[in-house]
Amino acid sequence: VLHDKDRIFTDIYGEAGAGLAAARARGDYDGLKDLVLMGREAIVDAVKKSGLRGRGGAGFPTGLKWSFMPKETDGGPVYLVVNADESEPGTCKDREIMRHEPHKLVEGCILAAVGMGCTAGYIYIRGEFVREGEQLQRAIDEAYEAGLLGRDIAGSGFDFELYLHRGAGAYICGEETGLLESLEGKKGQPRLKPPFPAMVGLYGRPSTVNNVETIAQVPAILRRGADWFAGLGRENNTGTKLFCISGHVNHPCTVEEEMSIPLRELVDKHCGGVRGGWDNLKAVIPGGSSVPLIPKSVCDEIRLDFDDLKNAQTGLGTAGVIVMDKSTDVIQAICRLSKFYMHESCGQCTPCREGTGWLWRVMTRLVEGRARPEEIDMLFDVSKEIEGHTICALGDAAAWPIQGLIRHFRPEIEARIKERAPAAAMAAAS
Amino acid sequence: MPKLTIDGIEVDVPAGATVFQACELAGREVPHFCYHPRLNIAGNCRMCLVEVEKAPKPVASCAMPAADGMVVHTASEKAKRAQKGVLELLLINHPLDCPICDQGGECDLQDLTLFYGPDSSRFAENKRPVADKHMGPLISTHMTRCIHCTRCVRFANEIAGVEELGATGRGEDMEITTYLEHAVTSELSGNVIDLCPVGALNSKPYEYTARTWELKKHESVDVMDAVGSNIRVDVRGNEVMRILPRLHEDVNEEWISDKTRFVYDGLKKRRLDRPWVARAGKLEAADWRGAMAAIRARLDGVPGTKIAAIAGDQAELEAMAALKDLMGELGSPNLDCRQDGAKLEGARAGWLFNTTIAGIERADALLLVGAFPRYEAALVNARIRKRQRLGGFKIGRIGCPGDLTYPTTDLGAGPQSLVDLLAGEHSFAEVLERAERPMVVVGPGAVARPDGAAVVAKAREVAERFGMIRDDWNGFNVLHAAASRVGGLELGFVPGAGGRDVEGILQGARSGEIEVVYLLGADELDTRGLENAFVVYQGSHGDAGARVADVVLPGAAYTEKAATWVNLEGRPQRSKLATFPPGEAKEDWRILRALSEVLGHKLAYDTPAQLRRRIVEAAPHLGRIDHVEPAPWADFGGAGKLDDAPFVSPIADFYRTCAVSRASAVMEACVEEIRGQQLKATGSDD
Repeated sequence: VLHDKDRIFTDIYGEAGAGLAAARARGDYDGLKDLVLMGREAIVDAVKKSGLRGRGGAGFPTGLKWSFMPKETDGGPVYLVVNADESEPGTCKDREIMRHEPHKLVEGCILAAVGMGCTAGYIYIRGEFVREGEQLQRAIDEAYEAGLLGRDIAGSGFDFELYLHRGAGAYICGEETGLLESLEGKKGQPRLKPPFPAMVGLYGRPSTVNNVETIAQVPAILRRGADWFAGLGRENNTGTKLFCISGHVNHPCTVEEEMSIPLRELVDKHCGGVRGGWDNLKAVIPGGSSVPLIPKSVCDEIRLDFDDLKNAQTGLGTAGVIVMDKSTDVIQAICRLSKFYMHESCGQCTPCREGTGWLWRVMTRLVEGRARPEEIDMLFDVSKEIEGHTICALGDAAAWPIQGLIRHFRPEIEARIKERAPAAAMAAAS
Repeated sequence: MPKLTIDGIEVDVPAGATVFQACELAGREVPHFCYHPRLNIAGNCRMCLVEVEKAPKPVASCAMPAADGMVVHTASEKAKRAQKGVLELLLINHPLDCPICDQGGECDLQDLTLFYGPDSSRFAENKRPVADKHMGPLISTHMTRCIHCTRCVRFANEIAGVEELGATGRGEDMEITTYLEHAVTSELSGNVIDLCPVGALNSKPYEYTARTWELKKHESVDVMDAVGSNIRVDVRGNEVMRILPRLHEDVNEEWISDKTRFVYDGLKKRRLDRPWVARAGKLEAADWRGAMAAIRARLDGVPGTKIAAIAGDQAELEAMAALKDLMGELGSPNLDCRQDGAKLEGARAGWLFNTTIAGIERADALLLVGAFPRYEAALVNARIRKRQRLGGFKIGRIGCPGDLTYPTTDLGAGPQSLVDLLAGEHSFAEVLERAERPMVVVGPGAVARPDGAAVVAKAREVAERFGMIRDDWNGFNVLHAAASRVGGLELGFVPGAGGRDVEGILQGARSGEIEVVYLLGADELDTRGLENAFVVYQGSHGDAGARVADVVLPGAAYTEKAATWVNLEGRPQRSKLATFPPGEAKEDWRILRALSEVLGHKLAYDTPAQLRRRIVEAAPHLGRIDHVEPAPWADFGGAGKLDDAPFVSPIADFYRTCAVSRASAVMEACVEEIRGQQLKATGSDD
């Protein structure tokens, strides 16, 4: 359980105001000069030691990612890119940060830039986040005015420019290389890797793309020490995390909690429990729409962190916890997600372009039971043809929810087919 | 050099190679659609997935750099499953209309499905239809068949240099289309038909006319320009059904221009299929004996100095050699193969593309003088663009404005700019100075003018001044637009001592000093005034030359003879007979051989082999097929005053440059649509 003293986002509900004065009152930018003067290696070491893992979904160790950036360059620009294209269904954490704590992000950008030797940063914000974009731009302007961005930041001698760029609302532009393409003004289609962005990124220059929450947590880590952060949560799953709980709970909310909190505790403590009580729970999608769901039997014991969820054949993803009670037509729910992935597929590579449509069409039939039982296996097989065969992870994201559904709710799908069968037979006979 | 193990075979690959290339080196075939060695890597078809040990997922081999110690399995369970899966997904929305698809029989999707595909479909949904797009008169589209490999898009962007193809929409709604459904305004657009691995982009003129397996394939050489593109002429019966490129790394790589590819319907129209003789100013049908008798009767008693011969732009080596010999027998010094009036003769280095086409890739600076290679030699232009895309290649241009598909520094309009450059008055002089292997290309717009010889001399000065002439590098180049030109110059088909050149011959014909003019396929002349002379026209098409002729002798077009052409580099190449000439038409050297006998000056050869032996005796390097004999640097060019007139390319209309292309309805359609579009785009029709 997270104590208030360990909270990083102390004003995530926007009670004190998002402006610079309020941010400073919360401790933002406190001793920024000293933090900047820690220097590149000390910052990367601290982030490595803290055990911070990327908060955007993949959970890659942030310090390690930063260390991939070339130590020496030809003197040309090196970029920090912040992924603020938060579009994962069920996720609304970066939005809260940009609304209410934008200065945490700005300060994080500065320190991340020091850690990677970046000369400029771009925050790529989701197009729909109109007000959040305004808020963030205000924060950037304030920081420039206060000498916290631009040349000689806070008297440290470090120069760094920060820009805000608005996307146009395509989900695929949240994929890091798709984002880079879009930022360059091209069609948002993910790039082939290798080369990785750390070598050839934005405009062909070394770049690192980090999630908003990841970056916004960095100042606290540096200020309070890596050991403090590493002492929260479990080994390999350290620190605090913003969880976004939606669906059939009494009080849906975004809340900062300690990593590895049991799912049941999170729901009961912060959301007033599942609608109709814990026993009314049917399933939970624990990490945004891209990860497989888990049924109640798994939910009873599971902890919300990278490793525990991975062992349950799902993932922490963005920590967008979608709760479904027994009133849910879980087949219909997953079918809706399939439609989303079909709609958002960029169309560049074959498995995703062709496969997402196939998945959705079969899913629509399963919703009505308009299928043969052996088509369930076929659907699973097709999802396996997509998974791992695409340029980016959208193919996996389209396949996993369906795999989770079949893994845990196969009897329900079969029952629906059976239920319809006599009716269909009668219709055929008449 | 990384060492990899591919299916148990160890291979060393050059640094920078991909896993795909390593597999090829190991002799393992990896199925693929989007990968093409001449295009950027897209990695989007996912067909080339292979298993790499220690990699968590199958790897797209075309995009993965080969690393030392990689262990690759191209046909393991995991790899096969991935490949099979991708192919199944490609097929679910493919119409499977192979029986009515032109690509049938030469389709990558068909071939790979045979080896990697399922034998039946599990796809029970409706297939996705896609509306066909309009891409102009050359490319027919069946977009439902498209597998979105983006080869065509990459070709247009990278090689053709026109950003007119692209994909709209996303996910399964992604569609390949041209910009606003306009025709592709590239003279290389037809190559996307070859690149398309399925039947989505097909040849519009060839559409539904033949099945590939009915066609006989003949290796040949193109004569639409002086590049000598290697082509394959596909024939059914005695009819050319289509023309495709043949691979020749040093000449055309694997591309050909649209004129080369689509001109063949012009071979079937306006053909001269029997001899004609004019009686009372009107051509009447005749037979060979009658036609030759008429020539003999007119030539009787005419002195050699009053006889002249002009060879056209598509004449082959054999016919020009025979005609030259015949003129020699008749005592005429009046012969010329430069019907555009180009002032080129003398030392070989003065009229060859000395750097060679492939050599462009080694150059590091280029100066175009009176050249518009995009239309004069489209594949030389493609090579220049290829070099330019690699970077470190500045291109200067004098005269001939217009879009060449790559950026140029324009130095001026006419010869004066050459003088200024020599004086170091333009910053481009510095570029040339600093370059290690600079080259200059002198185009027809610079030499086919009264001061042509003086311009050549100036260009020669530029070459010498900027270090373009060294033992290991010759950067002086002449760009020809006529396929016959270099061959004619090699044979010395130019005025003999006291002889007249083209202009002199035409003037003489008007004034009566020349009584008999022999036109060997020469149609691009100012024929006004020729009615005063007795004109013999030998050629394949009823075009400008035949219109003023007194005797018409039907010859063979370029696909109808086994003949030799020398391209602008000086590379002799031989074609094979693909179809027979129509009607009574004959191979051209045979006509001249027969005529010589009728005229009582029997030429000393009865077979092509004997004729070629005679050519090789005079110029041994012409016997070495596909070999470029380097020309030693020598003195050439002429004196004279430089004119102020700007250089203008003689090719105003890319699609209509010869008798064949003027007879072609397809080329006519291109003029209407593509040229029309281009003019509109530049606003020059307002």
